[in-house]
Amino acid sequence: MDQLTFDIRIVADGKPLVDIRDFSLQRNRVTVLLGESGIGKSLISRGMYGLLDPAELAVTVNGLAYQEYLGTDQVRAFQKSGFFVFQEPSSHLNPLMTLADQIREGSFSGAPSMPGVLRTLWEGTSGQELDSILSVYPKPYRPSGGEKQRILLAMALEKIDMLPGSPMPEALFIFDEPSGSLDNHYRDLFLSLLFDRYRNRPFTVLLITHDYSMISRISASHRDIMEKILFRELARRERGIALRDFQPGTYTDWVDDLRGSAGSQRAFQGQEPLLIVEPRLEVFGRTLLITRDSAGKNPERLAVPPGRMVYVKAPSGTGKTTLVKRVMGLIQEGSFEATLKGMPLTGGTPRRFWQERVWGKRMTMVFQHADEALNMHSTMRETLLGLPLRKPLTSQGLVRLIGELFDGGEAGDLLGKKIRFLSGGQKQRLNLLRGLALDTDVLILDEPLNGLDFESTTKVISMLRRKMEAGMGLLVISHNEEIFDALAGADQTYYLHAV
Amino acid sequence: MRRKILEHIGSLAFVAIVFALLLIFLKHREAAERQARAQVVAPYLNLPGIDFGNPRDRALFKETLHLFRPASPPANDSLMSAIESYRQSQFTDPNLKAGTGERGLTWRVLGRLGLMYLQFVLVYGIVLALTFYGAQSLGIYRFVRMKQGRGSYIEEFLRLVGDPNVGGETPARIRKASFTLLKAFLKGVSYAVLFSPAYVIGYSFKTSFETDSVLFMILLGVVSNGLLVNYANKFYTLLATENRKGYVETALVKNLGGEYRWNVPGGIAYRSILRLPRRFPGHVLQHIYLNARHQYFPALKEQASFLITGLIIIEMALNIQGHLCYELLQNILYRQYDIALTIVFVIFLLVKVTDILVDVRQHREGLRYENRN
Amino acid sequence: MKTGTSQRAVLPLALRSERHVRWVLLWIAGIGLLWIWDLLFLNSPAFSLIRRALFNSLLAGLLVVIFSMTLGWASGLLVYSLEKRKNRVPYIAVTFFLNLIRSIPQIVGILLGYVGLTTLIIQDILRAPFLQLLSMSFVVSLFVFLEVTDLIRERIAHYKQLDFFDAMLCCGIKESRIVNVEILRKNSLSHLVHKGVAVFGMAIFLQCSIDFILSVGLSAEVSSTNFPATLGSMLARMDSKQDILAISMVFSNLSYVTALCTRHLQGLNIAFAIVYTLVCVYNIANGLVRRYHL
Repeated sequence: MDQLTFDIRIVADGKPLVDIRDFSLQRNRVTVLLGESGIGKSLISRGMYGLLDPAELAVTVNGLAYQEYLGTDQVRAFQKSGFFVFQEPSSHLNPLMTLADQIREGSFSGAPSMPGVLRTLWEGTSGQELDSILSVYPKPYRPSGGEKQRILLAMALEKIDMLPGSPMPEALFIFDEPSGSLDNHYRDLFLSLLFDRYRNRPFTVLLITHDYSMISRISASHRDIMEKILFRELARRERGIALRDFQPGTYTDWVDDLRGSAGSQRAFQGQEPLLIVEPRLEVFGRTLLITRDSAGKNPERLAVPPGRMVYVKAPSGTGKTTLVKRVMGLIQEGSFEATLKGMPLTGGTPRRFWQERVWGKRMTMVFQHADEALNMHSTMRETLLGLPLRKPLTSQGLVRLIGELFDGGEAGDLLGKKIRFLSGGQKQRLNLLRGLALDTDVLILDEPLNGLDFESTTKVISMLRRKMEAGMGLLVISHNEEIFDALAGADQTYYLHAV
Repeated sequence: MRRKILEHIGSLAFVAIVFALLLIFLKHREAAERQARAQVVAPYLNLPGIDFGNPRDRALFKETLHLFRPASPPANDSLMSAIESYRQSQFTDPNLKAGTGERGLTWRVLGRLGLMYLQFVLVYGIVLALTFYGAQSLGIYRFVRMKQGRGSYIEEFLRLVGDPNVGGETPARIRKASFTLLKAFLKGVSYAVLFSPAYVIGYSFKTSFETDSVLFMILLGVVSNGLLVNYANKFYTLLATENRKGYVETALVKNLGGEYRWNVPGGIAYRSILRLPRRFPGHVLQHIYLNARHQYFPALKEQASFLITGLIIIEMALNIQGHLCYELLQNILYRQYDIALTIVFVIFLLVKVTDILVDVRQHREGLRYENRN
Repeated sequence: MKTGTSQRAVLPLALRSERHVRWVLLWIAGIGLLWIWDLLFLNSPAFSLIRRALFNSLLAGLLVVIFSMTLGWASGLLVYSLEKRKNRVPYIAVTFFLNLIRSIPQIVGILLGYVGLTTLIIQDILRAPFLQLLSMSFVVSLFVFLEVTDLIRERIAHYKQLDFFDAMLCCGIKESRIVNVEILRKNSLSHLVHKGVAVFGMAIFLQCSIDFILSVGLSAEVSSTNFPATLGSMLARMDSKQDILAISMVFSNLSYVTALCTRHLQGLNIAFAIVYTLVCVYNIANGLVRRYHL
């Protein structure tokens, strides 16, 4: 059979988490599965692969109780021949075993070509340096998130190399947000390695992502196999969720439009910048340098003008989040100089000043992980009404605000719901709304498009544009270079370097 | 680590200073109190014609006091109590009885306490080791049963009785149901024992066994006071928490064993839970156990404190003479607070030494896993 | 790579997840059945004493929970606020003092506290039985509240590590509100309830143990009979001890079980009440862990 089809229902504590019919994959084809975070992509893929715990969840797959499904030949074949790369690489490596031990156990205990695969993913690193990386016990910051992700991807590629036969119909390789922690360079490298292997011997791949820019990369660099790649999107329907085709052109055309309209943000030209940050900062014993060029030769003050978006780029692990937290006064050690609407801010500015004059009043920040930034036990209504706004929100104001990023019907259902019951994409939209509701002069955004589907992404970008038109200055850090390069423009792009 | 060691040394020094000051204060106060007590009762003790051992004489004396001092009945009652207590101490205070005149902390007393302390430390060490091992074994056993999907014995019994499709033919079903009920009953009894305060178990067995033997003390220390079951529960919770973490999924995807049935190929062997060191090669439980054990080790400090509480309860409540904690209680009763404080101080020392050893070990492990060794 | 065998549960999933409720009902039922048995077989003065002792023990346990929660919350917040300051001396002093309390075995600390209580009773300062019970509970809570302190500190530290804390600060929400409302009230209530249940069990155990030990008395003037009756002090009475001693008769003569359950009821009653309460509290706590994924 050319198609793998699944009817999957997953229930936890009596509440349905996922209910989908005809979730299908084409054998020996690559399926890129898009959709907002929390809609069920990971759960469905785990369910298919046989990784859910029947003691914790009530699962049925194709009418079979999960315990029966686990005993089927299909699942056994998936698990024996395939691999699953999970998102959040930090939590998927054992902190009490060295990386070297972890890449040599189980089915990899005799892996012959693992060193080769690893060296390819660590190009430019000597064998000794690589051995030194592998000899460590994984900790939150060492190795970096990107390095950990590369190790997990190396295992998947190695598993592909270990399999005999061509094609491999029973094998199923699932990659859940494989580029989440990777820089664009390593993301492209991984895609090349994966598709090279696919070209040699086709196998079934499910590539889950909410990074829509992957579509552009694949179109640009792997056009020859585009016909073998299916772009599908998981979307909400009236009852449950459903799989639908996604046209790559929908995204690429939209990005082209963005590029075309980048030059139109000139309404506040000539006005003083809202935020100025001196180029050199010292924090946690490291020096960070802001420059205009990617080589790091021209340090320059970072200036956020009114009505403009400023985009800061840097490789993963450099310290972008540290920079913005320093600018927000959340880190109070080390040296730092900035001016916010004429108010000087330094490393010695007392916390009370930040609390009374800056936070939520002149400047605010939207953090990248909505799950951490929001209170899971509050409702949407409580989250927004509990903000210390200059003018308290009325009920109408609340409805209007929510309507910016949520559809009318959806908003009505969600207002009284506890945040922990929202999907990842809904949480991220609420996270953004909270920041925008404060209506500060400067808004800092850390990965604002994290977990959003295409429709929500377009709404968020539109909302950001409206805020810029109203005079708000935005400072953005994000891996979505394609989108923010287009929005910010080259004249408002800076680079961050760790010296 | 240096900060922690300094803190430990600091608290030891602080307590030692407080202890020394209290000793000095108590010695002086005790001498003064004793003298004052004797002075209050002395004029009445040798009154002619009154025998305070005779209840009639005592009643007459009390009436006489009320006649002569009608305005102060509480003072009269107080005097009667003081006389009674003084007379009682002549019989009950060991130092006065022995007529040695020796009182308080002397070298002889210290020597006697020293031997008791060594015995206490020995029992403590053995019980700590046994409960540390036992808690992990029980915790792993419970975790494996949970992964096998086994509910409680009562649920299993109800299932066998209520569902005719489960358990096979009727005679076999009845046999299985009876056996399950028996297992449920035995589990209930074992819970009752494990949660019982030591004195309940001790008194239950007092007439059948020698309850002041060291072996019985060790047994009681391990199985009673809820120590074993609470820490087994703690270890089980750690295993269950680790089981939900991402690295377990990755281990499964690397085709490490995920079968938890007993003694089947790829499953868990009974003996792997009991043997030392515990290893589960090629099984995902190895990952889970490693992490749970690392987090469980600091709980040894808490366990030590709880264990000492249990041992103190055992010695005091069962009136085990010649043991350290029984001596503590006796010395409080006889107001020999200097000896009581000394015993408290050495028990505190034992807890502190345990804390320091655990912290040092955890620090070393931490350095290794933080890649700083 | 099978993830283990699983048998279908007869009981619905919802009932299994409400284990803590089930054990509360089981406790009430167990004590209820015991009282019915006592009504049939135990003399009424003894039954009345046992009821009073049980009430006092439960009340003392509850008071320990209240005191521990209050002390724990206050000390947790105090340590948190001192930790943030530039001057580390007060923080070091307070944590040193708390660690010192932690190093004292609970029973020793409570025993010393009872010595103090005894002095107050001798001096006629603590007269009313309720005041005495309150003081006893306060003494126990002094050696138990650190569990709550540790929980509060751990919960605050957990959320500080995440973006949660910083995100709220950036929205202009006051730090005191973030800590007390957002972290402790909204996100830690289930943890606090679970800790409260555990503290209750610990309080019952420690109180019964100390009262049992005090059967010897801490001074010639004051004995356990001066303190309010609790399960521990009831168990320490001569007649109760004899009832417990009678249990060993069953090992040599199984038919003695009937006599045990009808004639030696006082001691057995109290022992059962203590053990059964501890088992139920343990299962309630476990049920809460499962229900709220603590």
